[in-house]
Amino acid sequence: MEIKTSYHDQVAVVTIEGSIDALTSAEVSAHLAGQISQGYHQLILDLNQVEYMSSAGLRAIMDGLKASRQSGGDLRLAAPQPGVDKVLRMAGFPSIMKSFPSLAEAAASFKD
Amino acid sequence: MNQPQNNRLALVIGSGAVKCAAALGVWKVLNRVGIEVDLLVGCSGGSLFATTMALGYSVDECIELTQRLWNRSITRKRDTRSFLKALLPQVFKFDERFGMFDDHAMLKNLRAVFGESTFTETVVPLYLVATDFHTGEPVVLDRGTLVDALRASISVPFIWRPWRVGERLLIDGAVSNPLPVDVAIREGVELILAVGFETPAPRRIKSISRFVFHLNSVMTNNLYRANFAFHNLAHHAEIITVMPDFTQQVTLFDTYLIPYVIQQGEHAMEQQLPYLQRLLGEIHSS
Repeated sequence: MEIKTSYHDQVAVVTIEGSIDALTSAEVSAHLAGQISQGYHQLILDLNQVEYMSSAGLRAIMDGLKASRQSGGDLRLAAPQPGVDKVLRMAGFPSIMKSFPSLAEAAASFKD
Repeated sequence: MNQPQNNRLALVIGSGAVKCAAALGVWKVLNRVGIEVDLLVGCSGGSLFATTMALGYSVDECIELTQRLWNRSITRKRDTRSFLKALLPQVFKFDERFGMFDDHAMLKNLRAVFGESTFTETVVPLYLVATDFHTGEPVVLDRGTLVDALRASISVPFIWRPWRVGERLLIDGAVSNPLPVDVAIREGVELILAVGFETPAPRRIKSISRFVFHLNSVMTNNLYRANFAFHNLAHHAEIITVMPDFTQQVTLFDTYLIPYVIQQGEHAMEQQLPYLQRLLGEIHSS
């Protein structure tokens, strides 16, 4: 798994490539926490290149969501692929956090 | 056998009638690569497959047994007394033992396959889930005869009357816990393969029974998703969800689709296999 981060105004875009699972989720959690501690409270998790997500991955996203909201910001999801989107929907994520079909739409949502 | 020796990997098969045959596809892949399951959990239709696997039958034998157990014969005869009780409740003394279909054919099939076998005869520890009719609590069955546990676990509401096991009157496990991964977690398993399905709704609502089944499907599916979310987020165990894609609609008694259903299960498991193997490798080396 690879994590890349870019910054647009006050929004950190965290792009993941690979799987978010029991072997990689700790790294994702730590990375999101690191961004928040650096003052980036508004985050987008770009899932366009995430091919698989297990229960550990769901928990990592939930940790990031909680931490961002506790610091007054938000974590939003962008471009989940159908398999990952199915898991997110089954786990009820659309009812508690915002998810967008594309990165551009997720970025625009922070400007609204 | 009901004492797990090594709680490494569990296979949990949720409710879903014929769709549960996808678990045989999962089983096929695991057998091919030599991955052994340490514990099996079944609910409703999933109970039938979990049980045949736990008894050590081969995939081909499981398919053959499934077709003997789950076919049109089990809904051929209506339960006349139940209908009379529904029409004239005072005269025929309506009670909780209501079911649209006579269960003699199903019991005959179950007894022909499992006889008097008990949970002690399984080669892999087995847990089957039913629901207490009166309290609504999930009930985990791991002792007694397999026929009693299966009959209880597959008591689909309105279709078959509830079944008494000991002091409790039991119905379909799907009513309380359609994908019971918590049972495996409670037994100390940290890596769980969960094969789950949404309940299909009737194609067309053209009778009162289909109207009721439709509402039942809506409620069961919402419960399934709620349980899925809770178990995935609240526990430390790693749950690998195997969700076969069905482009063809598969309803309650479409047993002729079993080869297709197995194939979809096999395909879904193939996709998860590299990750499962990596995880098992990590556990083995730690």
